[in-house]
Amino acid sequence: MSESKKIEFSKQEIERYSRHLIIPEFNIEGQRKLKAAKVLVVGTGGLGAPLLQYLTAAGVGKIGVVDFDVVDESNLQRQVLFQVEDIGKHKVDVAIERLRGLNPHIEFVGYKQQLTSENALEIVKAYEVVADGTDNFPTRYLVNDACVLLGIANVYASIFRFEGQVAVFNLKQPDGSFGPNYRDIFPSPPPPGMVPSCAEGGVLGVLPGIIGSLQANEVIKVITGIGEPLSGKLHLVDALTLDSRTVSYGKDPNREEITKLIDYDQFCGLNGEPMPHQSGLKSVTVEDLQAMRENGNYHLLIDVREPYEYEIANLGGKLIPQQSIEDRLQDIPKVGNVVVHCRSGVRSAQTISLLQEKYGYSNLYNLDGGILAWARRIDLTMPKY
Amino acid sequence: MATVKFTANLKRFYPHLAPQQTNAGTVAEILDHIEITFPGIKDYIVNEQGQLRKHVNIFIGNSLISDKMELSDPVKSGDEVYIMQALSGG
Repeated sequence: MSESKKIEFSKQEIERYSRHLIIPEFNIEGQRKLKAAKVLVVGTGGLGAPLLQYLTAAGVGKIGVVDFDVVDESNLQRQVLFQVEDIGKHKVDVAIERLRGLNPHIEFVGYKQQLTSENALEIVKAYEVVADGTDNFPTRYLVNDACVLLGIANVYASIFRFEGQVAVFNLKQPDGSFGPNYRDIFPSPPPPGMVPSCAEGGVLGVLPGIIGSLQANEVIKVITGIGEPLSGKLHLVDALTLDSRTVSYGKDPNREEITKLIDYDQFCGLNGEPMPHQSGLKSVTVEDLQAMRENGNYHLLIDVREPYEYEIANLGGKLIPQQSIEDRLQDIPKVGNVVVHCRSGVRSAQTISLLQEKYGYSNLYNLDGGILAWARRIDLTMPKY
Repeated sequence: MATVKFTANLKRFYPHLAPQQTNAGTVAEILDHIEITFPGIKDYIVNEQGQLRKHVNIFIGNSLISDKMELSDPVKSGDEVYIMQALSGG
């Protein structure tokens, strides 16, 4: 960590941080380390909201904020840093404005861009700790590899529906070596579609509040040296049962050495293992489907989403949830055009592959982009979820 | 008997997935056992060669299994085996 001996505090800061200063194990030394620290927070989404607020409130001296996105209405269910009036504004701008109001003693640096293989090393090298609150596998591998190449700790958290994970990767050990990193526990990403994002599968709004707070706790432990950071460990939380467990792992002896940044979209899209039950697929666009409807071309539309999704929005298709598809084969003819859709096109593709491979169907078409594409390009009054 | 627990993520494919009791002696035998109750579930845990998928991990107690290729790690009565996978959301 940075040289903290020369760090001093104003009267106002002393009063602000007094509840830290009176903890014997933390005291003014811990506060000095926080003020001397430089932390890069990647992603200002669900995890970023509590993470940024607690790091700012706690007094981390310099905080970098990376996000290319703007605030969307669907963010407000969990991204508590944002308000209704912020919709459409850059998340980085809104976040920094709000955080400055929380603690004017912090230096903020905004990066309104996507972290890429081209810019990651340049951005990350100005910091001592990175907190990964991104929402996709390519960026997670990118953040990890950049941290490994630069010898920087990567405080990781991820969430999906009701589950969360927290870990500290690549933490410098007392002997100068580095602890295990993301690739030691997850050597490569899942096949596309096998592990959906929160946008695809949903997330309980309060979950990132819980997990992002744990992540902030780990960042503070790493900076100040108090407690036992989750190095070589992965903390898992199930919000439904409140079961949590901390599992251990070491360096993977078979892991390839990380020597440079790569094309992470390709790594996550093309190099993954094939998804089970998924091969050659015919598809139609939402414009094709609209034309089929307007021209009266015979087709059957099957919706493989869940009933609660159907209630939110539907195209009038026959509802056969993906899980019950094999019990409803009698409802799916093997002649005539059958268009299968879901929310974004992933589940319907899986369903078609299963029906083709296991039951010999050859008349099925996947609706590219699912009902979301319909809501975006055909019927703009339809709610997107 | 060992107890096998799963990440809730697999409930996307197997809504009735719940902890399983098993007398299996190795991790590989455990997967064969749960495949009977939940046909096809192994495909989400191991690849075509029977090796652990790289975004999936199996822990016995709190320790990661050591044999990800043949899943030969022994499991004894009273062990809790946990099958989890990477998440990407943030």
